[in-house]
Amino acid sequence: MRMNLPLLVAGVALLAALPAVLPGGLLIASIQMLVAALFASAYGMLSGRAGMLSFGHAAYFGMGAFATVHAMNAFGGSGLLPTPLMPLVGAAAGLAIGVVAGWFATQRSGTTFAMITLAIAELLHALAPQLKGLFGGESGISTMRAPSLGLSFGSTTQVYYLTLVWVLLSIALLYFHTHTPAGRLTLALRENGHRLRFLGYNVHGLGVSAFAISAMFSGLAGGLQALSNEAANYAVFDAGVSATVVLNSYIGGVGSFLGPALGAALMTFFGYAVSDATQSWLLYQGVLFVLVMMFAPTGLSGLFGTGVRLVEQRGWRPAVFSALLVGGAAVLLTAGGVFAVELLQRLCSQDYRALAQAAAELPAVTLLGRPWSPTSVSTWMLPASLLACGTVLVFVARRRFGSAA
Amino acid sequence: MDTFVFSLLNGTVYGLLLFMVSAGLTLVFGMMGVLNFAHASFYMLGAYFAYTLQGPIGFGPAVVAATLLSGAVGVVVERWFLRRVHHHGHAHELLLTFGLSFIIAETIKLFFGNYPVDYRIPPALDFAAFTIGRQQYPAYRALMAVVALAMFGALWLLLTRTRIGIVVRAAIYRPRMAQALGHNVQLVFMGVFGVGAALAGLAGAIAGAFYTTNPNMALEVGVMVFVVVVVGGLGSLGGAMLASLLIGVITSLAVSVDRSLADLLSVVGAGAWAEAVGGLLTLKLSSLAATLPFALMLLILLVRPAGLMGEKA
Amino acid sequence: MIAVRALHAAIPLLALLAAAAQAAPVKIGVLETLSGPQASTGQAYRAAVRYAIDKLNASGGWNGQPVQLLEYDNQGGPAGASDKLKAAAADGVQIVVQGGSSAIGGQITEDVRKHNLRNPGKEIVYINVGAEALELTGEKCNFHHFRFAGNAQVRTKVLVQAMKQAGALGSKVYAINQNYSWGQDMERAIVDNAGAGGYQVVEKTLHDVNKIQDFAPYIAKISASGADTVITGNWSNDLLLMMKASKAAGLKVRFGTVFLDQVGNIANAGEQAAGHFVAQAFNAEAAGPEGDRFMADYKAKSGHLPVATEPQTVFGLEMVADALKRTKPVNDALDVNALARALETTRLKTPMGEASMRASDHQVLLPLVVSVVTKDAKYKADDTELGFKPVKVFTAEEAAVPAQASCKMQRPS
Repeated sequence: MRMNLPLLVAGVALLAALPAVLPGGLLIASIQMLVAALFASAYGMLSGRAGMLSFGHAAYFGMGAFATVHAMNAFGGSGLLPTPLMPLVGAAAGLAIGVVAGWFATQRSGTTFAMITLAIAELLHALAPQLKGLFGGESGISTMRAPSLGLSFGSTTQVYYLTLVWVLLSIALLYFHTHTPAGRLTLALRENGHRLRFLGYNVHGLGVSAFAISAMFSGLAGGLQALSNEAANYAVFDAGVSATVVLNSYIGGVGSFLGPALGAALMTFFGYAVSDATQSWLLYQGVLFVLVMMFAPTGLSGLFGTGVRLVEQRGWRPAVFSALLVGGAAVLLTAGGVFAVELLQRLCSQDYRALAQAAAELPAVTLLGRPWSPTSVSTWMLPASLLACGTVLVFVARRRFGSAA
Repeated sequence: MDTFVFSLLNGTVYGLLLFMVSAGLTLVFGMMGVLNFAHASFYMLGAYFAYTLQGPIGFGPAVVAATLLSGAVGVVVERWFLRRVHHHGHAHELLLTFGLSFIIAETIKLFFGNYPVDYRIPPALDFAAFTIGRQQYPAYRALMAVVALAMFGALWLLLTRTRIGIVVRAAIYRPRMAQALGHNVQLVFMGVFGVGAALAGLAGAIAGAFYTTNPNMALEVGVMVFVVVVVGGLGSLGGAMLASLLIGVITSLAVSVDRSLADLLSVVGAGAWAEAVGGLLTLKLSSLAATLPFALMLLILLVRPAGLMGEKA
Repeated sequence: MIAVRALHAAIPLLALLAAAAQAAPVKIGVLETLSGPQASTGQAYRAAVRYAIDKLNASGGWNGQPVQLLEYDNQGGPAGASDKLKAAAADGVQIVVQGGSSAIGGQITEDVRKHNLRNPGKEIVYINVGAEALELTGEKCNFHHFRFAGNAQVRTKVLVQAMKQAGALGSKVYAINQNYSWGQDMERAIVDNAGAGGYQVVEKTLHDVNKIQDFAPYIAKISASGADTVITGNWSNDLLLMMKASKAAGLKVRFGTVFLDQVGNIANAGEQAAGHFVAQAFNAEAAGPEGDRFMADYKAKSGHLPVATEPQTVFGLEMVADALKRTKPVNDALDVNALARALETTRLKTPMGEASMRASDHQVLLPLVVSVVTKDAKYKADDTELGFKPVKVFTAEEAAVPAQASCKMQRPS
């Protein structure tokens, strides 16, 4: 990815200015988005650049979180490790565990490697509740950010800036790593490890180093989350956390450097915003995964690349037109689909069925603040027409621009 | 002694249940390299289909219908979803199946609600087969074991004694060569996926009545099934049977062992020290019963990554 | 351009003036697991909270304004709960209600304590309507946490007494529980009550939470130990699968449980649940006409009868409503510390008896009832023929267990 300096500076400035413009709730979401972006970048480095698909990255994230929490309790904000430097403990823990786990895991490749990482994470997840001293049982270990260097670290804004500095620094370091010889060699690892061995390189050592660096930054991300939440709980080792980072990375697109970060930020925001709005949000998330995997396999950053190619091939007007078509189709299909799902969810719920049995005719359901009667045609015509229009737009877009995609 | 025999029997039956669910997965895994996260969802679908159809058509026909319906869903998934992303690589197929597992689980919650549903063993099958000591052994468990063994037998015969079986095995081993020889490998993939899903559905239809049928069934069985497939070896049916029995028996027997590493160390006189250290050393084996399969999986992966009966790649 | 800029500046000013002109409504946030595997528990709490808030607003709300209810989904875990709590605080929520899980309850009480330390004057109070781990009114007790549910000690105490009185408690008890704080609390309580119950605990087992499909090995252990009664705090699948396995093995034991009345358990267990005991927080049959009225009203408003955790949630929030009424507004807004002081002395006449809040550890003293599963119960469960018939009702004093010594509550001056 070409580094566009003015764009980069503008992006950093925007991120730095967020606490001034965002309401409190969204600022908290931003901290989580930053942590997820760092975790995904670290993961993307391993899976996208080194080609090693790991299913148990939550282990390193979680160990980083627990190490940081123990350090916060032990140091109390002063001395060798003031509060702002706490994530270093998380990084160190991630690195240590990463070296050990990576040494075993990178001896194999492909599916076996993935299964080994999964086994390590699941083993840790199963053992953690038993080891109360280390992992604190199911209520986890709690701590408090100590004031340090003149700042109290009590307000969300200060935590946001701390997280922002660390995330930017880590992503910069990861980017720097890609330009070092070791970073280039990890690309070679993905392309043809066999040949690399014949060229005389220590492939196993290279694999371990890539794994360890990825685990180190994952541990740092875990430390940041522990700093923000002031607690660590063994639920962080759950397979769902590992799966989430894989999904975030691939939705953003592992082909580009910032793709995973973008995907993670978007999906974290999606979860945060939509989970309060509807209880079927996991269904929408699943549909989003499937659609991205099927129709945008290079991820959202890949979509961006497709757009650029379209502009180069056909010019600005057709590209904008196709973007509008696809965007419009997406909006219509989403609206129709969401309406239908929400309607079905209310109609099939136990409470509604009980009310329906009691009443003479099927009562109306409330959606978007209005009552909709399930027996009237208009209630079903709305989602049907939205879906139909959306499908038509998709066909039109495919016919006109299918070749560039 | 009674307890031991019982634990052995229970473990064997539980292992056979795991085999029923994982048989399809190991074939699909071995053949297409697809780690199908949605496989356990077919298990759940089978249970829910059988529950819905049990009322109208009775238990037996409902189980058969659930099997066929799950197979149909599997065929649809392969034809219209997996085939599209096949050329993008294993990661994409895997993530697609992960998304599908979410969709299936949430759709079931949409229609059936979050609570367990009342899918029960029909009264005709709800009796005790025999008694050992003071405990009865339900006939339904014996039925589950019989179905699992029949499934194993049928699959084995199909794969080793029929033409289709030879084509399937060739497609697992060398898909491009098989295609070059003129076989419709795409159809074989679709068929194997469908059969795998159907078998998982059958397992769900039968086990759902004995255990509970709730929207979290897939999560409960899902991870264990992966452990079985990895330990047994990808693509190996015999390996899956061996691994499931091993895991079932180990889990079952571990529950009755209330000893820990500290007790083992006390044999050499280091017991008091181990007790003082605490932590891992004082964990009782019985509370680790659900963790042992993962330790086994890690061990196998490190020592013999192809699995117990898998082919060395 | 200047006009636009002036407008941009004027809008927040107007909003501020408008806000100052009217009183700040009280915002109550329910922070539950509303999606994912444990959604069923969270949604039940939400339904009960909605009912109680509607009732409060129907009787006038607070300070002449209706109370606002905001709902937050903690996305299934303590990390999500921590985030949503911060979001709720940013939204101006002053009362947070939660009950679905002791792990999440532990996270919330700690986060509330830290928030209140850092933001004096903008405190939040945590209304716990279901997290029953003892540490929440023990080591983790906190002036701004109030528990309106039972705990392992009181539930076991009444269960043992009622079963003994009904002649269903044998002399050999097997304690099987889940290996986390709640299960460990239950195990300790079962051992503590051995003297009062006149039984001997033949064996204790702790197993993984929600991971075990096949309980047959545990049933084998129970059978080998010769126990005639099993007391367990298991819930959801762990309880259901255990009962099914015990029926399949033909094991003749009596079960004493805490969560048998969860939705779906009786439907799934069927006939084999008959004869077993459960310590409930509410049983309408034991509450007379008041109880029937409550059941009918709840069903009319929400579509189903209140079961399991819903009644205690409603009564808990009614106690909060009572405390709210006794709290005078300060600068037209709610002073949470004043509310907390009012909550410490709150009493409510529930259909089953009087409930009151104990100020020393903020544990509610509520009447409990022990019921048996049988065909001739007034209210049937899960549309089956079986229901819960009360065996013995305990007043709040009879059920109470003294406050734990580990609770050293720090009060604001």
